[in-house]
Amino acid sequence: MGTLIRDVLEDSANKFADITAVKWLKKKEIFERSYSELMKDAVAVRKGLLAEGFRGKHISLIGASSVEWMESYLGIITGNTIAVPLDAGLPGEDLIDLINRSDSEALFLSPRHKALLDEFLKQCPKLRKIWLLQEEETDSADERIASLAELKAASQKADADADRPEPEDVATIIYTSGTTGKSKGVMLTQYNLASNVEAVEYTAEPGTRVLSVLPIHHAFCLVMDWLKGFSLGATVCINDSLMHMVRNMSIFKPDVMLMVPLMIETIYKKLASVDAAIPKKAVAANVFGGNLKIIFTGGAHLDPYYIDQFAEYGVDVFEGYGMSECSPVISSNTPKIHKAGSIGKPLCNVEVRFENGEILVRGSSVMKGYYQMPEETAETLKDGWLHTGDKGYLDEDGFLFINGRVKNLIILSNGENISPEEIENKLALNMLVGEVIVTGENNGLTARIYPDQEVVAAKRLDGEAVHAALQEFLDQYNKNQPTYRQITGLVVRKNPFIRNSTKKIKRQEALVDEPLPVA
Amino acid sequence: MTQEMQFKTIVAQYCEVTPEEMNNTMRFREDLGFSSLDFMSFLGELEDTFDIELEGEEALQVRTIAEALDLLEKLQQEA
Repeated sequence: MGTLIRDVLEDSANKFADITAVKWLKKKEIFERSYSELMKDAVAVRKGLLAEGFRGKHISLIGASSVEWMESYLGIITGNTIAVPLDAGLPGEDLIDLINRSDSEALFLSPRHKALLDEFLKQCPKLRKIWLLQEEETDSADERIASLAELKAASQKADADADRPEPEDVATIIYTSGTTGKSKGVMLTQYNLASNVEAVEYTAEPGTRVLSVLPIHHAFCLVMDWLKGFSLGATVCINDSLMHMVRNMSIFKPDVMLMVPLMIETIYKKLASVDAAIPKKAVAANVFGGNLKIIFTGGAHLDPYYIDQFAEYGVDVFEGYGMSECSPVISSNTPKIHKAGSIGKPLCNVEVRFENGEILVRGSSVMKGYYQMPEETAETLKDGWLHTGDKGYLDEDGFLFINGRVKNLIILSNGENISPEEIENKLALNMLVGEVIVTGENNGLTARIYPDQEVVAAKRLDGEAVHAALQEFLDQYNKNQPTYRQITGLVVRKNPFIRNSTKKIKRQEALVDEPLPVA
Repeated sequence: MTQEMQFKTIVAQYCEVTPEEMNNTMRFREDLGFSSLDFMSFLGELEDTFDIELEGEEALQVRTIAEALDLLEKLQQEA
């Protein structure tokens, strides 16, 4: 078993040299790059980073899926540098916070985010260099700004290559929602990534087409679509926009896809809306492109109903379970071993046990810890056991089931984990907001607000005016947020929230808005 | 079929409201129950069906059927 993710990638570059590693669309034309070409580019990035003095440093990446993003990522993690993929959909202030908190000294930035260049350089004191993810040179007079093409060109003059990392070296830091309202940087080592890629029991012929539709900064997409795909010699096709997912299925004709349940639900609506008289095989060919046989899903619970429905169209849906802290897969149903409604059997490299119903996991995919967060690390990792925050059980056949959550995270069916506290802290800054709790309902977020009565009285607002003012505030808030963090529902409470003996709001009773009992 | 009816037939794929029952003040998310991805997928279908190109930002600000129809008409005039 390889102990470095670099071993896995180099092995693939040798074995599958002439096979197409990545395909993508540019103005409706398909472009592609082979395994040998991709690895050559990754090595150029790696040497360039070394030549520019970034040995051992943290390097952020901001952008949607692209071949430039991926060759940069591979260049970072196969060297002695640490990759920090960030959510390109976050507002600028959040990205600045994460660049600073991750101690990133360089950044690969998609040209679409060019407008943020100055802010990043001004507000991120450690940032020494930004490379735009483009093949053209930049025209910037600022020597801190260059392009990926310039980095690769500069590396041609450099002979030195980065040393092989050690298995326990951190390869990547992935930010995930924190229950304390602050996102946490999950540190995954070379060995963590390699062992997760190898432990997931799925094999496919080299050249198998995978259409990658999830955000690339997500561990599930990054490790399973890309790194696992590369380990098999798969061709990873980039979906350029969620708007075009169905169109791109017919263009790339994928054999296998990874999805979050929300995508399965949306596609099912399309399948179900087709005239029942049309044969399902023809419908499947039209919607899925004609080759799709397998969908792996995770990130949130999938109603088993969809598994049966998709089977009628010739597509098997296999649900799995994981979290960034576990690189990310913990268990998965597979074509050979599966049970509907379960999240599959734990991978061969993880042990599972339960504490008061909570699933605890130990094994070679479990993270090293949270970056610069010793307290949170100690709370989550105890004696090597990762406390998942999910409640579950193993059935008599060894399949894992989930039946609840310990922590406050809201899991939406698009797989996004939302920390309600993080949003509540921001909403509470409005003077009219007295108390606020964010809940996940109908696959969206609802803000339940008890208005500040003093402000209501001072401004002489009636119920309608309070509602309108709060809705206007939420509309403003939503404008700067990625879709999954927008508040789509508002409930204005008549009464304060019910609190426990330590005066904390009882979240589980947040939906109840009854008159307070007389003291 | 009128363009508006063709448009509403696409909308109807993602919700349980028939084209005939739709009124133009209905909001995609709140009234028709669109998920964020339903809406993205719907925009992609509008592009393919009406041969237009949508700019992400402008299209994502659309909340009601009327607003979407206005945007469609505007883009067709510009084309």
